[in-house]
Amino acid sequence: MGMLLVPFLVASSATAEQRSGNVYLLPPCVTTVGEQIDSLITMIFWLCAVIFVATQATYIYYLIKYRRRPGVPAHYSHGNNTLEVIWTTAPTLVFLALAIYGNRVWENIHRAAPENSLVVDVSGYQFGWDMRYPGVSGKLAPMDVRKISPENRFGTDPGNPLTSQDVISNELVIPVGRPVHLLLHARDVIHSFYVPEFRLYQDCVPGRTIGWVWFQATRTGDFQLACNQLCGTGHYNMKAPIRVVTEEEFQKWLVSRQQKNAGVAQPAAAIQAKAASLTGAAAKNTL
Amino acid sequence: MSASATTDSHAVQATHDDHGHGKKGLMHYLWNTDHKMIAMQFLVSAVFFLLIGGAMAVAMRWQLAFPGHPIPVIGHFLPSGIVNDEGAIMPSGYNVLVTMHGTILVFFVAMPLLIGVFGNFLIPLKIGAGDMAFPALNELSYWLFALSGVVMMASFWVPGGAPGTGWTAYAPLSSVAAYNQTPLGQTLWCTALFINGLSSLTGAVNYITTVITMRAPGMTMFRMPLPVWAIFLTAILLILAIPVLSAAAALIIFDLNLGTSFYRPAGAGQPLLWQHLFWFFGHPEVYILILPAMGLTSEILSVNSRKPVFGYKAMVWAMIAIGFLGFIVWGHHMYVSGMNLTLSAAFSVSTMVIAVPSAIKTFNWMGTIWRGSIHYTVPMAFSVAFVSMFVIGGLSGIFMASTPVDLFVHHTYFIVAHFHYVLFGGSMFAIFAAVYFWFPKMTGRMFNNTLGWIHFWMTFVFFNLTFFPMHNLGLGGMMRRIADPTVYDCLRQLQPLNVVCTIGAIGLGLATIPFVVNLLISLRKAPDAPANPWNSTTLEWTLSHPIQHGNFAVTPTVYHGPYEYSVPGLAKDFLPQNEKAPAHVTLEAH
Repeated sequence: MGMLLVPFLVASSATAEQRSGNVYLLPPCVTTVGEQIDSLITMIFWLCAVIFVATQATYIYYLIKYRRRPGVPAHYSHGNNTLEVIWTTAPTLVFLALAIYGNRVWENIHRAAPENSLVVDVSGYQFGWDMRYPGVSGKLAPMDVRKISPENRFGTDPGNPLTSQDVISNELVIPVGRPVHLLLHARDVIHSFYVPEFRLYQDCVPGRTIGWVWFQATRTGDFQLACNQLCGTGHYNMKAPIRVVTEEEFQKWLVSRQQKNAGVAQPAAAIQAKAASLTGAAAKNTL
Repeated sequence: MSASATTDSHAVQATHDDHGHGKKGLMHYLWNTDHKMIAMQFLVSAVFFLLIGGAMAVAMRWQLAFPGHPIPVIGHFLPSGIVNDEGAIMPSGYNVLVTMHGTILVFFVAMPLLIGVFGNFLIPLKIGAGDMAFPALNELSYWLFALSGVVMMASFWVPGGAPGTGWTAYAPLSSVAAYNQTPLGQTLWCTALFINGLSSLTGAVNYITTVITMRAPGMTMFRMPLPVWAIFLTAILLILAIPVLSAAAALIIFDLNLGTSFYRPAGAGQPLLWQHLFWFFGHPEVYILILPAMGLTSEILSVNSRKPVFGYKAMVWAMIAIGFLGFIVWGHHMYVSGMNLTLSAAFSVSTMVIAVPSAIKTFNWMGTIWRGSIHYTVPMAFSVAFVSMFVIGGLSGIFMASTPVDLFVHHTYFIVAHFHYVLFGGSMFAIFAAVYFWFPKMTGRMFNNTLGWIHFWMTFVFFNLTFFPMHNLGLGGMMRRIADPTVYDCLRQLQPLNVVCTIGAIGLGLATIPFVVNLLISLRKAPDAPANPWNSTTLEWTLSHPIQHGNFAVTPTVYHGPYEYSVPGLAKDFLPQNEKAPAHVTLEAH
């Protein structure tokens, strides 16, 4: 179906380079989850294309062939039970197969996040996003959704030493090739975490932690996080930058933020060593 | 059952002298318990709302194609809460348009047209009854509807303005004043839906009672025309679904005004409770909007193909299956809402299964035209197009029924394309077909054929131009309900497609002109219609215009099923339901 529109779009938009490679104008896919979804879309597309062309060709053929012609009366028939059984059974089998196959992919996407995942707390509010990364200890400070308030944006415990170590950011920076496990929160109304290039949508519900979303980016690049659940006046512009970077760049970024956070000047060599060890660990984990 | 129907319908006719007919002047049109006049009241009101809701859609399309540019012409007529001084839509105003367009088109256009107009007009005439079972309740149903429309539109003029929380009004955005900034407008919105629900319920009670108790002798359930079956089943869905919406809306009113927190997590409420309640109503609602359209289309296809409906009983059972399954698929709106993931998987199975009865209906429509003698009239053109548009809308539904695909296309323009193919390409096309088809019976006049064809071709071409590219916008990652797609880098390159959709929408808006003009001039100038212009078999065509109050001078007796066309051995190619087949003719069982 989308094929018809491709020439128009390619001709009219010079920047549409990365969309021209597929028939549906999909944005580039940069996660392992997305690859599974894209192949399912392709499969359903061809199934629908075949059904559509077959039924519509037959339909149009009938519409032309059986137009009113003088001296040719309509055929008197109230139906055919054999046909009814066939066209009830066949779609049932096809649709059930699709549901079962789709749910296997669904389960696979939502299996537990790997141990080595980078855990990021993502918190949506009217109208923006806050991210929280683990501090130097490598652990996120524990939080409680009931403690979330305008003063305590993440609902963490101020008395916990981990809390002051947490790295707060307005952009989502993630390493390529390492699983990223998101803890999704909303501070006021329902928001949603939507990144078309990740093929990922999940509502963030106030009063709850949605902890089953994880993914692994397959290449670096700059993207945008969008809220895709109508959340008020500023909804249309509730976005945040996403940078998928190499593990080294990520560690450099995180360590510099941790350092700034801690407010303690550490010897440069120590930071380098720490970054190297983290990178090594991450690299091992991704294997 | 038909034995008791006999006595009942006679009894009803005997009391038919006190229903407000004979009243002169304005009151004849304002308070009239004749089901035919009530149908006209619904028709006029719904067309009025169609123009308002449609204009809102064109305004939104303008904003999406040319964000921030003042809207020509329409911009100056929109309330100041929606547009700025220059006549360009503000983001908050866009949210209001999104909300009110959806609300108006669902509750004040599609439902009254399908159920209020054709339910009222066709049920008594088609089953051989004198009126509805409860004529005064019927008129009350219309006035509750009108009141709900006034309350809904009043929200534009209260402090804070109309709500901008979407027709789905997800809590806690809708239920907490600090979040939506429009507590008064939201309260009026909920109140309007509550009153509108009462209107639907009183109507539904009436339809069900009428169909069960007032059928003419010989009119067994399986001899009823398919529009009657469809609206009867729809009425059952209404009775089961509407109270849930009413209750849920009442809880929002409590949360907003009485300090309760049913949906607010800070007060131990549950935001997802609203979604479960709303969609428990909202999914049957989708079938409430398509079942009558299916029934109307089946009949128009049969009449104009001069062939019996293919698989009449399969059609009825498919509608019953849709009605039942429609209550166990609501979770497919919530795959990615934070609902339990296994529940999502379960709902995807029931959702795939509900596609089956729709497929059965499509195959039977194709079977109906197969080896027919197709008369291409204006209503037939809309019905033929209905089938194709419904197929597209059904197939795009398969994408979203699949849980992993929904993870990507949820809340994108893909879903906007999908439900417009079902609700416009489906329901609205069927409504247009039915308005043209029964216009001669409702008014005693023929419509203007040329204007009808102009209306059809403009609607068909511009509808597809508007909504087909939205599939690609959605797969391209464009979110629904955003006032300005150009704020996102990845959407800017899709902007030419948005312009195409907008050109289509403007054309679709213009297509309404020949429709409305046709209705108006045909009422005054058109030639008188013969009693049965389409050579149709059902009972309403046995009456000539004007149909008296109480409809049938003598209660008709029904001898066979509703669609006996082209029966071999008959001189004419149709056999009305109240005419016995001659001895030498054998009717096929259906």
